[in-house]
Amino acid sequence: MEASTVLQSLISGLTLGCIYAALGLGLYVVYGVTRVLNFAQGEFVMLGGMITVSLCAWGVPLFPSIFLAVFVVSVTGAILYRFIIHPARNASGSVLAFLTVGFAFAVEGLTLLVWGWEYRSLTNFLGSSSIHLWGATIFGQAPWVVGMTILMVAGLYYFFGHTMLGRALRACADEPLGARTVGISPERMGLLAFVIAAALGAVAGATITPLTMTAYNVGIPLTIKGLLAAFVGGMHRAEGVIVGGLLLGLTEALSAGLMPGGYHDAIALTILLIVFLVRPRGLLPAHANIE
Amino acid sequence: MMNPIAGTKTISPVAGRPNAGRYIPYVVAAVVVLSAPVWAGAYLVSVLTIVGFHAVLALGLVLLTGLAGQVSLGQAMFFGMGAYLSALLTVRAGLPAWPCILVAAVITGVGAALIGFAVLRLRGIIVAGVTLTVNLIFYYLVMSMGQVTGGATGLTGIPRLPYPRGMPYSVFIFAFVWIGVVVLLVFSLNVARSRSGRALRVLNILAGGGEDTAQVLGINTMKYKVSAFVVAAIFASIGGSVYAHYTGVIEPGSFHVQLSVLVAIMVIVGGVATPWGAIVGATLMIGITEVLRAVAPIVLGGPTGAYELVAYGAILVATLLFLPQGLCSLPERVRRRRRADDGH
Repeated sequence: MEASTVLQSLISGLTLGCIYAALGLGLYVVYGVTRVLNFAQGEFVMLGGMITVSLCAWGVPLFPSIFLAVFVVSVTGAILYRFIIHPARNASGSVLAFLTVGFAFAVEGLTLLVWGWEYRSLTNFLGSSSIHLWGATIFGQAPWVVGMTILMVAGLYYFFGHTMLGRALRACADEPLGARTVGISPERMGLLAFVIAAALGAVAGATITPLTMTAYNVGIPLTIKGLLAAFVGGMHRAEGVIVGGLLLGLTEALSAGLMPGGYHDAIALTILLIVFLVRPRGLLPAHANIE
Repeated sequence: MMNPIAGTKTISPVAGRPNAGRYIPYVVAAVVVLSAPVWAGAYLVSVLTIVGFHAVLALGLVLLTGLAGQVSLGQAMFFGMGAYLSALLTVRAGLPAWPCILVAAVITGVGAALIGFAVLRLRGIIVAGVTLTVNLIFYYLVMSMGQVTGGATGLTGIPRLPYPRGMPYSVFIFAFVWIGVVVLLVFSLNVARSRSGRALRVLNILAGGGEDTAQVLGINTMKYKVSAFVVAAIFASIGGSVYAHYTGVIEPGSFHVQLSVLVAIMVIVGGVATPWGAIVGATLMIGITEVLRAVAPIVLGGPTGAYELVAYGAILVATLLFLPQGLCSLPERVRRRRRADDGH
C-alpha cells in the first residue's frame, strides 16, 4: 500500500471506529446498569438519523432538529424500558435480550410505514464537502463524527465520575442490592440508563447520516457490529467498548484499502470474531474488584 | 411476575410408553396436512410449503434452544449454505440435483461443527450475538462474491429436482417438505426422550439445570451442544437446497439475519419446550405474514413488509411477557388453573 492509501485508511478507520465506539457506549451504559444486551441500540441510531433528516426537510434548522430528534428517541428508550424491560426485569438475560429484539423489529416496521424504504441523507453539518491532506481525502463530516464521540466520552466521564446521579448509576451497576439499601432505586436507574443510551444513539445517528446515509433497515447490522466491537473490547468497561469500536473501524478500513471489492465487511467482522473467540473476556477485561 | 423456572417439569425423564391410542390425533393431523393438495387450492398448498420450510428450520433450533437452552441465531445461514451450495453445484458444475443436496448437507455439517466448537464454548445470550454475527458475515460474503454467487441479484435457472410424472412439481415439493417435517418431528421427539435428550435438558437453565450442573453430572457438554448444533444445521441445509430447487431463484436477502431471528421468534412463540412448538410457531407466524401481506397494504395502505415486522416484534414481546413458555404451554396452564380452581 502507498503511504497515502495507508493514511486514507487510517482516517476513514478512525471515523468508522468512532461510529462503532458511540454504538458501544450506548450498549455499555445499558448493560452495565441493567445487564440487558440491547439489540435495539442500532434502532436508536437509525431513528435519530431519520427524524433529523425529516425535520431538516421541513425547514427546521439543523441543531434544533438534532435536539428534537434526541428528545423523541429518548422517549422511545424510556418506553422500551418502562413497558417492555421493566415488567420482565427478573427474567433471564436471553429473555430480556429477545424483548429488545422484538422492540427492534417493531421499530423497523413502524419506520418503514412512516418513512418508506428509501435511503436518506443529510448535508454535511458545515457544508464543506471534503478536505485534502497529503493525498488523502477527509470527508467534511468526519471531524464531526470524531468530535461527537470525543464529546460523548468526555460527557460520560464527567457524568459517571463527578455527578451524584452518575455515581448512583455506577453504584447500581456494581451492586444493585447495595444501591437499594442506600436508597437508590435500580428501576429508576435502569430507566435512566435506557434514556441515556437512546440519546447517545440519536446523537450518533444524526451525526453519521451525512456520511453513511440511513434507512429503516440499517439498525440491525449496526447493532451487530456495535455488539461485536463491544464484546471484543470488553463490555464491562467504557474503555473496552471504545477500543473495540476503534479496532473494528480500523480493521474495516484497512481491509477495504488492501482488498477492494466489497470484502471489507466480511473480513473485518471475521477478524474481530476470531479475536473475540481467542479472548472471550475482552481485550480490556473487567477490573479485578468488580469481578 | 414471570417465573423463569416454570418449565421445571420438563427436566424429569418421560416415564413409561404411552399406549398406541395416544397417537391417533397426531396421525389424523398428519393425514389432514399431508392431504392438503386434495382439499386445498394451489395458493394454500404453496403457503403450507413455506410453513414446512420454516418448520424445518425451527425444529432444528428446538434441538439446541429447546433442549439445551442455547440460543443460536444462525439458522438462516445454514439454510442459505444449503441453497447456495446446491444451486452452484447444479448450475455452475452441472451435477445432478440429489447428490448435490447431500454434498451441500455434508459441507454445511462440517462447517457447523467448526463454528460450533468455536462458538458454543461461550455461554448464554452471547452465543446468540456471535451466531448472528456469523450469519451477517455469510450475508456480506455472498453479496461481495458476485462472480460466484451472483451478488445481490442472486442465482437463477436452478434446475428442478427429478419428480414423478403425473404430479405437479409444487405438490411434489409440498409432500417432500412435509414428510421431512414429520420425520424431523419424530426424530426430535425421540431425541427428547433419549439419553442425549436428557443430557441436553440438564444444560437448560430454563428447566432448572445449567452448564455447571451438567458438568458436575459428568456430561460432556460440548459434545452434546455441538451435535445438536450440527444436526440443526444439516436440517437447515437440506431445507435450503430443496428451497433452491423449488423456487429456481435465490438471492442473498432470503438468508439475511432477519430470517434467523424470525425462526427464533417462531420457536419462542410456539414454545421452546417441545418440538411441536416449532410447527405451531411456524404455522402461526407464516399465517399472519400471509394475511398481512394480502390484506394490510390494501386496507391500511403503506409498503408491503412493514406490518409484518411490527407484528413479529409485537408478538415476540407479548409472548415473552405474558406466555413465556409459548403457545404449547397453554393447555398445561389452563389445566393447572382449573385444578387450582377445583381445590377451592
